Amino acid sequence: MHGNTWPVVGTGQASVMASNWLLFLAVGACVGVIVVVLILFALVRWRRRPGDAEPPQFANNYQLEVAWTVIPLLIVGGLFVATYRAEARIDAVADQPAAIVAVNAYRWGWTFSYRGGPTVGGASNGPASLGVKQQMAELVLPLGETTRIELSSTDVVHGFWIPDFLFKRDAIPGQTTVFDVSPTKLGTFEGRCSSFCGLQHESMLFRVRVVTPSAFAAWEKSQT
Amino acid sequence: MGEIADLSAVPVLAMPAAAERHDFLSWLTTTDHKRIGILYLLTSLAYFGVSGILSLLIRTQLARPNSTFFNAHQYAQLFTLHGTAMIFLFVAPFAFGLANFLSPLQIGAADMAFPRLNATSYWLYLFGGLVIFLGAATSEGAAASGWTAYPPLSEIRVSTGLGQDLWIVGVFLVSVATIVTSINFVTTVFIFRAPGMTMWRIPIFTWEMIATSLLVFMAFPSLAATLLLLFVDRHMGGHAFDPAYGGSPVLWDHLFWFFGHPEVYVMILPYFGVVSEIVPVFSRKPIFGYTGLVLAAFAIAGLSMGVWAHHMFTTGVVNNPFFAFVSLLIAVPTGVKFFNWVATMWSGSISLETPMLFTIGFLLNFLIGGITGVMLASPPIDYQAHDSYFVVAHFHYVLGGGSLFAIFAALFFWWPKMFGVKLDEGLGRWCFGLLFVGFNLTFLPMHFMGVMGMPRRVFTYDAGGPLPMLNLIATCGSYVMFVGVSLFVVNAIISARARIPVGNDPWSANSLEWWTSSPPPEYNFESLPPIRSERPVYDARVARS
Repeated sequence: MHGNTWPVVGTGQASVMASNWLLFLAVGACVGVIVVVLILFALVRWRRRPGDAEPPQFANNYQLEVAWTVIPLLIVGGLFVATYRAEARIDAVADQPAAIVAVNAYRWGWTFSYRGGPTVGGASNGPASLGVKQQMAELVLPLGETTRIELSSTDVVHGFWIPDFLFKRDAIPGQTTVFDVSPTKLGTFEGRCSSFCGLQHESMLFRVRVVTPSAFAAWEKSQT
Repeated sequence: MGEIADLSAVPVLAMPAAAERHDFLSWLTTTDHKRIGILYLLTSLAYFGVSGILSLLIRTQLARPNSTFFNAHQYAQLFTLHGTAMIFLFVAPFAFGLANFLSPLQIGAADMAFPRLNATSYWLYLFGGLVIFLGAATSEGAAASGWTAYPPLSEIRVSTGLGQDLWIVGVFLVSVATIVTSINFVTTVFIFRAPGMTMWRIPIFTWEMIATSLLVFMAFPSLAATLLLLFVDRHMGGHAFDPAYGGSPVLWDHLFWFFGHPEVYVMILPYFGVVSEIVPVFSRKPIFGYTGLVLAAFAIAGLSMGVWAHHMFTTGVVNNPFFAFVSLLIAVPTGVKFFNWVATMWSGSISLETPMLFTIGFLLNFLIGGITGVMLASPPIDYQAHDSYFVVAHFHYVLGGGSLFAIFAALFFWWPKMFGVKLDEGLGRWCFGLLFVGFNLTFLPMHFMGVMGMPRRVFTYDAGGPLPMLNLIATCGSYVMFVGVSLFVVNAIISARARIPVGNDPWSANSLEWWTSSPPPEYNFESLPPIRSERPVYDARVARS
């Protein structure tokens, strides 16, 4: 099972998110480097030496002040447009998904109900220290197809998080929220609860298994 | 310039003081803003010490995978108390303590507007904090649902213990104390300024505290109301947050973060003020862009009232783009402040004494926290980073690398004014070095842990992959920080024993608190210099020479 390391970016939505990450990181790094260089340059260049005269007492430069207000404004404006577009693509929900799964979170496990198909679920093993031995819930998804997730919770607020898909959504009691996942990589990935929900929060794990569409159909049949 | 010198020593109207008492009872009953300020500062440092020990225990538990040093319930109490104490009992109250001590001096006043109310808010704060910690002595332990206390987790059917109730009552008392003290503060600055101290000559620290106090007015009532709602839910049959009866857990998110995000700026604006006081003194220049700094503070305060739902990007039930846009905008006034500080240093005469070292540390650390803050304003980044160690890294860079470093800068800078003795420079440099290295060792790896999928608030994690090594590095860093903080305590004790007196103005500083003696007399000023700019003490120094 892949997890707890650098994420593999396993869905179409995740690719959009990864580019959004890189854009923000690149812009942030550029601004950061410029500011650090300015600070360090000032410290070295104008370090006080014995006998120094009083430095020039200037305290304003309106052109400069307008410039360092307007330029950052343009930068964050650009970042906003980029992130708005990215989010619209990630949050978009297909009309005709290949599968629809109602995901229900509870203390401390998961139920996956496939519309017109099986309902599977379970609680996890958790770390060895807890000694809880139960079957871990498994979410099976078809490769290259879109699956709609309808997420809710029966008790407290949980978080449905698949780090390799760069995505999480809160599972809130009394509320159902909907999103799509479109896996682009075969494999088994770790999923977990992200929102603190009590004593076994860290062991509220599940497994995501991405299989070919034909294998998915066969699996659905075998479960019903 | 000679004429101006003749105008100095304008007498100040002050009540003739009785002989100052220094016994225990006089501290217990004091209404002197300087003593209340010092009580605030020492109390907040004590809570910082306790909360810091809790964080060492947290890091000790996480040093190795599958650790059984603590169990899940003990660990949940640790991180709940650590977060609650750092936020409600240390970073914000320290700022109000500093303002209590400093601002009346900076504006040439004899005391705060409502001295008794001032004492009241201190005692509410002290006992509010003790009530929160009292939970640890109850049979089911202290509150264990995090400092954010999200219902239904914090509701009575899940969190059955008395600790959660004591948490509600304690935080409520602290929030009332904070509201009261900010009313007192704004009144003081608006009506108690000395002749000549116009609004546009107020030192930046005091300006930042005005913006902070206005934020408290708007945000803290929401916290107090939310806490009452939770208490009613728990004990009086309320269902505000219970979906089974038409309530909603999302309501808590809205009300809590309507307070919670302005609170972030309550914990950073005062320290922008500290930095704005220290950089000019150690660069021997006036603050660059005074007006811009003041306007930026109010821009940040105003915008921060409209960003609360960026804590809710992953709920799927808020208008993400709106809150993303406003959150991104905050980067602009924050950038203005940064550039102003750099421009203040530009072609100055910079000396790197301990207060300035900590200020440089603030700039470098806060820069990283600011950049990750811009990243977290993007909802698609939150989809991965929310509730992960990336967020833990981010807010520690803001509050630990930012506020905490400014707090140490403030301590080293104003210690001579408060106690009449200077802290040791050599020990101060070591303190800074250890804290800077330790801080970055602790929190830089957490960015990577978060991206790799480590959620916050887990009491343990599995072996395998890079997480164990990253966690071990973070734990080592936290121990280095502990040594650094301990050196400060040693420094305070040594300097108190050495009793090397300092003059009124050991740093050749600018604002009025450096005009009076160190420590100042009970009535604050024997005389005031003429106030013709935001640097009256500098002006008087120039006039004299």
